[in-house]
Amino acid sequence: MMIKTHGDTLQISGVKELGAANSNVFRDEARAAMTDTQKNIEIDLSETSFVDSCGLGTLIALHKTACSRKGMVRLVNPTPSVQQILELTRMHRIFEIVKP
Amino acid sequence: MSRISGVIQPAALRLTSACDLRAVQPATEAVRHFLAVQGCPEEELSAIELSLAEACNNAIKYAGDDARAKPIGVEALCDDQDIELRVTDHTAGFEWPEKIELPDPESESGRGLFLIQSLMDSADYLRGRGENTLVMRRKRTSRPVLHNEENSQQKIAEGETVITGMIEELSSCYESLSAIFRHSADQSRISDPKTFAQTLLADLLQIIAADWFVLRLVPPGQDKLAVFVASEPSLELPPLKIPATAKSVDAVEVEAAVKRREVWFDILRPLASDDPLSGPKPRSHGLVHPFFVGDNLIGTLAIGKTRTQFLSGQQGVIFTAGQTNVVATFADFLAIHIANTRYQEEQVGNRLVARELEIANNIQQSLLPKQLPALPGFALAAGCRSAHQVGGDFYDVLKISDDVALLAVADVMGKGVPAAMFAAILRTMLRAAPELMNQPAALLTRVNKLLFEELSGVDMFITAQLACVDVRARKLTIANAGHCPLFLAATGAPVKTFSPEGIPLGIMVDAVFAEETIALPVDSRVLIYTDGLTEALNATGDRYGQERLMKWFGDAAARGLSAKQLKTELNETLEKFQANMVLSDDQTFLIMTG
Repeated sequence: MMIKTHGDTLQISGVKELGAANSNVFRDEARAAMTDTQKNIEIDLSETSFVDSCGLGTLIALHKTACSRKGMVRLVNPTPSVQQILELTRMHRIFEIVKP
Repeated sequence: MSRISGVIQPAALRLTSACDLRAVQPATEAVRHFLAVQGCPEEELSAIELSLAEACNNAIKYAGDDARAKPIGVEALCDDQDIELRVTDHTAGFEWPEKIELPDPESESGRGLFLIQSLMDSADYLRGRGENTLVMRRKRTSRPVLHNEENSQQKIAEGETVITGMIEELSSCYESLSAIFRHSADQSRISDPKTFAQTLLADLLQIIAADWFVLRLVPPGQDKLAVFVASEPSLELPPLKIPATAKSVDAVEVEAAVKRREVWFDILRPLASDDPLSGPKPRSHGLVHPFFVGDNLIGTLAIGKTRTQFLSGQQGVIFTAGQTNVVATFADFLAIHIANTRYQEEQVGNRLVARELEIANNIQQSLLPKQLPALPGFALAAGCRSAHQVGGDFYDVLKISDDVALLAVADVMGKGVPAAMFAAILRTMLRAAPELMNQPAALLTRVNKLLFEELSGVDMFITAQLACVDVRARKLTIANAGHCPLFLAATGAPVKTFSPEGIPLGIMVDAVFAEETIALPVDSRVLIYTDGLTEALNATGDRYGQERLMKWFGDAAARGLSAKQLKTELNETLEKFQANMVLSDDQTFLIMTG
């Protein structure tokens, strides 16, 4: 997993999977990486082959963090199976999903 | 598993996983791999992997400390229609909700069961004492890739098909080879190429189980495909013109000839209604194979089946690859045979032409006088060089009296025996009219009348120069039938040419010929010749021409050469000019000095 900052946005990429085993760690690392000036979180899901309900919960948690800073979470280029899960659970209504 | 379909035994995977979230991923990965081997597509695998992960996560989530020590059981069963997953835990379990709905959008949990319900066709939570099992089922969306065992059986079957195909091809090859060997032996026996092709192609039909054939050939020097032989009279169709380009191609045979490749007609591309083949053979399937010797199109071979017997599971197969090869082999063999036959015919033709030329040459030589008559105070010399393609040149000197003789040089326009025959007739006619020999114009008129019908009937004509010399009176009476002018060289004077009006013999039945009488000064030299001299070509394509001939004649006369010397020098001059060029026309001349 790679985290870098770009202006007021935290950019996360290289996530292989987001499930029960790692989602809490992911959440905590992302939060820790955010400085006071950052309000948006951008997560590159192009390499993410697996997201389960815990992973979805983590995304919601980060969404709340961003909202508390008047920012948002943007999901970039999810793989088809992850996109399907996001749609199935109607989370595409909460997140901005960006396709390249 | 509730139902086992077919002969395929359900495949099963059973494993246990530690009651730890970190152990879930390896377990789901193992199940995913197992189902992938069973032929589940990617989309199905993702759904199952996620459902299984959710089930395992739940089991772990609700485990107390005691239960965490016990493993979770994971089973996956799969047949060609269904997939069943079982997750067994040793926890107190939980109450399976009656209705599963999505939680509040902002909720960080509570989506696991929703996902299972959405991704699987059914989920039953079997709660027991100290052991709970979640049974999840899903119908397979696509036909499975076959079981390993089945797979290898399939591969064996495929292998057998390939081997059968190879055997079929080998036996076809053997049959075609032996047929070709047999026909090669026949070739020397069957002299008629039609019979030969008919026999060969009838064999081909048997070998490849076809119903009909049409063999078309390109006649030498023509751009059409003419039926040479066909399997039945209804297929002896009119010739097809071969267009220069493939633009408006409609007949499959023409298309194969123009595109220089095999053309198939089958279900996908049936014979057009205006295709000549669809008349006698509608709804036929087959192929047209064009054949060549070198780059030259020799012809096309169309082979067809009237009732296509589809091979099982291979709809549209008309001929197998092996049979197609046999067609090509037979066609190529025929092409070589036909080319050979044509070459032999050409050789025979050449021999016939050579024989004809020999005969013509013999006739021509027999027409020439063995010896020229002697005229008091005058000398005569003549030459006649035959071209490769013998024409009808001849010269003659007929003595009328001691002092009077008729000199004649003629050129029959045409080649070979007919030209030589006309020369012979003309010579006879001249000799047969002694009363007109001293009136050259009247003689030409008469000969023209007599020969007109025969000459015009075969589009031939004769040019002739007649000169009646009276050595005592030293005068020359001449008439000309479209022939080259007569040259006269007298000492101290330039060469004079004489060409009284007259058209060639055989053009007009009542042609009129002018006559002219020339005085012969002492020490005159006269040259009568055929246009083979002036039309002679050198290596660079220049004609010898009348001017050059006149100049030579004037020079030679000024040097006082005798008739014999003139003849020798003229021959040498012509030889030198033409170098090694092949004579395109006879060269004949008659010289008189006195």
